[in-house]
Amino acid sequence: MRGYLSGGGPLVATVTVLAGLPLVIGDSRYLMTLAISMLVVTAYAVAFNLVFGRSGQLFLCLGALAGVAAYGSVLLADVVGVPLPVAIAAGVACSGGIGAVFSWVAVRRRLGVIFVGIVTLAFSLVFTNLLLGGRALTGGETGLLVEAAAGSWLRERVPAYYLLLAVLVGYLAIDRWLDGSWLGWAFRALKDDPVAAELAGVDVVRAKVIAGALGSAMLGLMGALFAVHDGFISPTGFDFGDIDVRVLVVLAVGGIGSSLGPVAGAVVVTAVDELLRPLGQLRLTIYGIVLIVIFLRFRQGLVPALEGLARRAGSRRAHAHRLTAGR
Amino acid sequence: MIAVLFDGVAFGLQLSLLAVGLTLIYGLGGVLNLAHGQFAATTAIIGARLIDGGLPVVVSITAAVAMAAGLGAALDVTLMRPVYRLRGEDRVLSSLLVTLGLAFAIDGLLIRFAPFTLLNLVVPGPAIVLFGVPMRRGVVVAALSAAAVLGMLVLVLRGSRWGRAVRSIIQDEEGATLCGIDPARMRRSVFALSGALAGLVAVTQGLTAPIGATSGRDLTVLALIVTVVGGLGRVSGALIAGVLLGVVHAVASYAVGAFVTFVLLLLVAIAVILLRPTGLVRSAV
Repeated sequence: MRGYLSGGGPLVATVTVLAGLPLVIGDSRYLMTLAISMLVVTAYAVAFNLVFGRSGQLFLCLGALAGVAAYGSVLLADVVGVPLPVAIAAGVACSGGIGAVFSWVAVRRRLGVIFVGIVTLAFSLVFTNLLLGGRALTGGETGLLVEAAAGSWLRERVPAYYLLLAVLVGYLAIDRWLDGSWLGWAFRALKDDPVAAELAGVDVVRAKVIAGALGSAMLGLMGALFAVHDGFISPTGFDFGDIDVRVLVVLAVGGIGSSLGPVAGAVVVTAVDELLRPLGQLRLTIYGIVLIVIFLRFRQGLVPALEGLARRAGSRRAHAHRLTAGR
Repeated sequence: MIAVLFDGVAFGLQLSLLAVGLTLIYGLGGVLNLAHGQFAATTAIIGARLIDGGLPVVVSITAAVAMAAGLGAALDVTLMRPVYRLRGEDRVLSSLLVTLGLAFAIDGLLIRFAPFTLLNLVVPGPAIVLFGVPMRRGVVVAALSAAAVLGMLVLVLRGSRWGRAVRSIIQDEEGATLCGIDPARMRRSVFALSGALAGLVAVTQGLTAPIGATSGRDLTVLALIVTVVGGLGRVSGALIAGVLLGVVHAVASYAVGAFVTFVLLLLVAIAVILLRPTGLVRSAV
């Protein structure tokens, strides 16, 4: 199952390149902003990959889970006056808790994939509507200016970039570690045959709840940190049509279930998205078509598909080489 | 209060119409269509453009609804083809992701090329007084036509050969195939019907309030809520759930406002999935 793109080497290489990026583009406000939003999308995609790609739970509320922690920590810090780190921790705990509840209920009630999808989609719409309706607290459609951390290093692009990159590396490390642990085995067993896995002693409830809670907390932490860095939050930043679609496209392009897929997908999608900006709303159409094509033609995602092609070409070459060498 | 109730039933009948199209294809093909509301929005835009182009209203609307039927059938024979090769959970999931993509594709096109086009069908004349409550003519016509279409649909499903074939596939696809019914052909006709129903919702909506490019997403979500509350794949469930939620919608919007109402509907859907995944209404098919 594991291709060479998901091994440790390329991962280290990618992270090194990402770490060196500010040395090249650090002076450009525009490019750094773009790089930061790329890190955020990558982190969301890694988290979603853990929840959906590995443990098969279709959470269609990624933006909402990130938003719960973002709004939660900003409101706690600015309105209640809690110290920022404590506020962020509380917000992240909220997101993780919600994710855990979704997973627990889904396993307990034996909900099928689409029912999990519909429930979580309903949750993300509930969240958006509460934001819009709770104008007094959330600022409604116009959003909120974040006062916490104003003027600190968190607001500067290069330091914030390194903070978010460190968080992302942490996510990737967690993802790889989980994949090798009993959880990884549990997920693979569940994917192959849920009944057999359960009979073999896989603790389904525990495995799924850990994945759901951890993935949601990861979404929340990135959402909260980005909100604090950006200094502004509004419902559009956590909208289903914006965040969830983008992450789906990233994961579709990068490949579901692989480690490096989300990173590769995010780089490609961010770059293409920026190039296509003049098209405006038509980008939505292009995303839609990309989703359709990828889910119908390459169910594993583009990167693994290309990897498979490369491997086949490589083995053919090796084969030809062996033939000529034998002569 | 009676006025609120009437409004609720009028809106609810349209919700039923919207949900029946979704629930039929789930029952028949085991697939979801998250672009259902977008089909309605497309119909509205095409209809409005044809009317703007000078065609008579009835002709424009008929053409637009026919186009929606074509859209449904086209979805079945193109994008859904590979989806049908999958079984069970994989099939639903795949249909969900693919039609989500289709929904975004349509949304993008409509918002880009027809951001300000609205289908607004005005029925001239004074308000109709029902039990002492004045109702706008458009609303009454919308409710009556939705009820008429639903009634016809139930009759056809109950009585005709075609309806019996559809119901037999919903109950037992293999058994139906053994009886000489071709599920693929039936599926195509039901997809066309589902598209047409979405188109009709655009028309009844247009009679009540202007409908345009951005309505697609809301309509899809509403259709999904009603379908789930009625029980996925159950036609009578969708009928009853639509009217029920329509009344809840009207009462809640009257009492607590639009945002809370939408949240309430979503919470009802979540609660039904968690407590009674087969739907609120106990019934066969």
